[in-house]
Amino acid sequence: MRSHLPPHDHGVMDPAPAPYLIRINGHLGATMLSAFPAMAGRHHGAHTMLTGLLDRSALYGVLAEIDALGLELLEVRQLTQDRESLESGDSRSP
Amino acid sequence: MSLPCHDVGMGKAPEPGPGSRAGRPQDMEVTGDLPLSLTGFLGRTARLVARDDLVADLDRAAAGKVTIISAPAGSGKTSLLRAWAARPGRAHRVVYLPVRRDEQDAQVFWLALLHAVRPATGTISDTEPPVATPDFDVRTLADRVFSALARQRDPLTIVIDDLHELDSPESLAQLTRLLANLPPHVHAMVATRHDLRLPLHQLRLAGELAEIRGEDLRFTERETRELLDASGIALSQDETALLHQRTEGWAAGLRLAAISLAGHPDPERFIAEFSGSERTVAEYLIAEMLERQPDDVQNLLLRTSLLDRVNGDLADLLAGRPGSERILLSLEDANAFVVSLDPERTWFRYHHLFADLLRLELRRTRPAEVPALHRRAAQWFIRHGQAGDAIRHIQAAGDWPEAARLLADHSFRMTMDGQGQTVRALLRAFPRPADYPELALVRAARNVAWGHLDEAAADLKIAQTYAETTPPDRQRRLAIAIASLQLRLATRRGHLADVTEQARFLAAPVTGQSEEDIALGNDLRVVALMNLGTVEASRGLADAERHLRQGAALAREIGRPYLEVRCLAQLGPASKMRSFTAAREYCEEAIALAERHGWGAEWVIAPALVALADTMVWTGEFDEAERWLQPAARALQADTGPDIRLLLHQTTGMLLAARGRHREALEEFSAAESLQSQLEGRPATAGQVTGWMLATRARIGMTGEASAALEAVSDELAGSGELSNARAVIRLAEGDPAAALGAVRDVLAGTAPVIGYVTVIEAQLLAGLAYRELGDQRAANQAAERALTLAEADGVVLPFAMTDSRELLTALPSHETAHAALLADILDILRGSPMTSAQDAAWLATELSPGELRVLRYLPTNLSRREIAGELSVSVNTVSTQLRSIYAKLGVNDRSEAVHRARELRLLTTGGTR
Repeated sequence: MRSHLPPHDHGVMDPAPAPYLIRINGHLGATMLSAFPAMAGRHHGAHTMLTGLLDRSALYGVLAEIDALGLELLEVRQLTQDRESLESGDSRSP
Repeated sequence: MSLPCHDVGMGKAPEPGPGSRAGRPQDMEVTGDLPLSLTGFLGRTARLVARDDLVADLDRAAAGKVTIISAPAGSGKTSLLRAWAARPGRAHRVVYLPVRRDEQDAQVFWLALLHAVRPATGTISDTEPPVATPDFDVRTLADRVFSALARQRDPLTIVIDDLHELDSPESLAQLTRLLANLPPHVHAMVATRHDLRLPLHQLRLAGELAEIRGEDLRFTERETRELLDASGIALSQDETALLHQRTEGWAAGLRLAAISLAGHPDPERFIAEFSGSERTVAEYLIAEMLERQPDDVQNLLLRTSLLDRVNGDLADLLAGRPGSERILLSLEDANAFVVSLDPERTWFRYHHLFADLLRLELRRTRPAEVPALHRRAAQWFIRHGQAGDAIRHIQAAGDWPEAARLLADHSFRMTMDGQGQTVRALLRAFPRPADYPELALVRAARNVAWGHLDEAAADLKIAQTYAETTPPDRQRRLAIAIASLQLRLATRRGHLADVTEQARFLAAPVTGQSEEDIALGNDLRVVALMNLGTVEASRGLADAERHLRQGAALAREIGRPYLEVRCLAQLGPASKMRSFTAAREYCEEAIALAERHGWGAEWVIAPALVALADTMVWTGEFDEAERWLQPAARALQADTGPDIRLLLHQTTGMLLAARGRHREALEEFSAAESLQSQLEGRPATAGQVTGWMLATRARIGMTGEASAALEAVSDELAGSGELSNARAVIRLAEGDPAAALGAVRDVLAGTAPVIGYVTVIEAQLLAGLAYRELGDQRAANQAAERALTLAEADGVVLPFAMTDSRELLTALPSHETAHAALLADILDILRGSPMTSAQDAAWLATELSPGELRVLRYLPTNLSRREIAGELSVSVNTVSTQLRSIYAKLGVNDRSEAVHRARELRLLTTGGTR
């Protein structure tokens, strides 16, 4: 929906997509989740966990979207060691 | 269609914004945006909570230079700024500049800022309002903002809202420069969702930077109660506390809750359910709010959420039913998420967060409608002549082929309207631009403008091949766009035959009756005349002046000052063969008009700056010439095209040669010669450039190379007077004065073709020097006298300097000349001080505008402002304005300090008075 991504100036090629976990405060409903089509969402306690394969541009795109929608970002983590956690956990879908 | 800014004024009625549609010349229209009005920014604050503590914080912050409000979406940044600007007892001017969503066109932002900070009224009556131009430079515009601020006397606060939307790194860099160097009476407030790269350490260290962050903006419980009270909502203390807790004092959440609570049958239940839910505040409340709206309002909000701004007509179209304006008005009255943009309350925009959530809801619940809504909006914008917005919507609908077609069809007009950056942003949005051959046309326009002529030619070839495959009506449109670019390309390459052909094609009446067709026809006629005149001028053809004058007159008639300046700027170069005086007058007229529009140092005026410097070099005003060349060189920095750079190098070479700096002159002449060879046809001054290049080589002792190069010159050129003179210089350097005399014989006899009488002056002087070598002083004196006779009318000095004829002239007894005054002048100039090399002088000369430099020269005199204005044929206001700007730039307080500082910097010289 929005396209202002921070420019990359790390001087390296965009790395291959990696699995990311993004934790947001509160439960995202269908409308909010539709802003993150590349990510799966599930509720975990009072939070929402978004997971998905993102390259660097996509990651910054997701962060910009979170910013634009006034959501409260709690955590961003790359799941390099722990790919299976993408599938595990509470699969309750909103 | 105009600048997104508004002067909030001082509690008086707003003047019509720059965007009022009545009586505005068409080229003032800059963007598809509207001014944010007094009503939009200030007027409907009834529902806002005063937030006195924060307002007081802002008041304290305003004592420093810069305030940055950096807080997430929906924190209440804009509302706070509005409350502050509307507070009672505010004494000074506030201008408000919201950045448009995802703004990539830096020109829109800077023009709006410039417009906003221009002094209110009456103070600079003879300066035209800033308008968009096809060629534009962020730094130049930022400089204009600086000088507009320097002209201010009264305290001023600039509010820039939504700065995070500005997608232009160069603009942020210039904005940092601006914020770090604000004049003492100016304060800036910047609101953004996230911290930006604005390196303002100096301000922070100096305690001049105040920051307000998200935490500071959270509503307290007391403020929550005030907000509810203001909306007429009665809640118990516990309920209020619960609501405050659930929203964590987030302004957007509280305001959304207030909308749903207003008139709610069971507020208690609402609060209970809301606090029991774990959904995010925004999503929960948007859903609640929508649910409580009648169907028509819901429908309207969802369907128009795709627009950056909406009016009743457009909303009716998207909503599919009438009556939208009434709904929009009542929504604005009821809440802070719908804001009108103009005093008449016809255009509205939604709060960004609000719009984003509505869009998500629309896409989720009615995905099939989205592309159709974009297409409908695009049709409306096309009908209203706003191609940029239309193409954006077509792109959003995913109709890439249609978007490519529209962009190709409209890029010419959009560029003429100063929307070049918008065109480039739209071009960048295509996922696979190579799939659409018509986009080659858009790329070609950019490449021609930047002087990448080979790339432009390749793009045009693709576009042309494509155009042949299109239906006839479209073919005509594309053919016009292609022809106008080919014309520009041919002009820049000096290809006379092509230019003539394309110009004839373009000047033919445009078929079609619509206003757009007629306007396009006029634009094209001006463009045709301008290019035709330009290339004719470079060939030294007499029609050049007539065509350029016609172009300038037509441009003035149709209200296109930018094209008028471009035509006038070419008249100087076009007339210099005929008369230096005429050329100088044309240049001065063009520069004066350009300065009135604030283009005095821009690309568009460069030909006139160079031509003016050229005439000054000819008449021996070397220091003055140098000062005009510097802004010209800067204006041409980004332009790699051979046509104008050629003139710049040639004139710079002449100046250096006149000052005896032959090695540097040789570099310039060689650069000019090499650019000359890139042109298709030979420019009229080709003989001069080549001749002087060879002569300069001989003068620095490279006689062998010079001789060899002379033999290689084409026969046609070798017989010219200019090359004959070069041959004479070489022979003199070789110590063969008799051969030198032989070389110039035909020139003196008037049988060799020459560019102008100046070549004959040079030949006379070379003959004189040869006679001196041969010991024939009498013949030498006669030759010198003949040179002076020819030079008298225009006061030509350059040939005397270039040939180093000082001794020849000194030896001429005063009773043997009828030109004693001219002789004395020339000798003064030849003995004159060598060029100023102080680095800071050069630096400052580029910082001061040409107009300011002119005024500066008069400061040591005892002329009053009025008298200086008379001397320069400008208004007293202009002189006063320029004086203030000069003082600011030199960092001085009065005229005597300015003179002192200018002397230190060697900006004042005795030579070159005008």
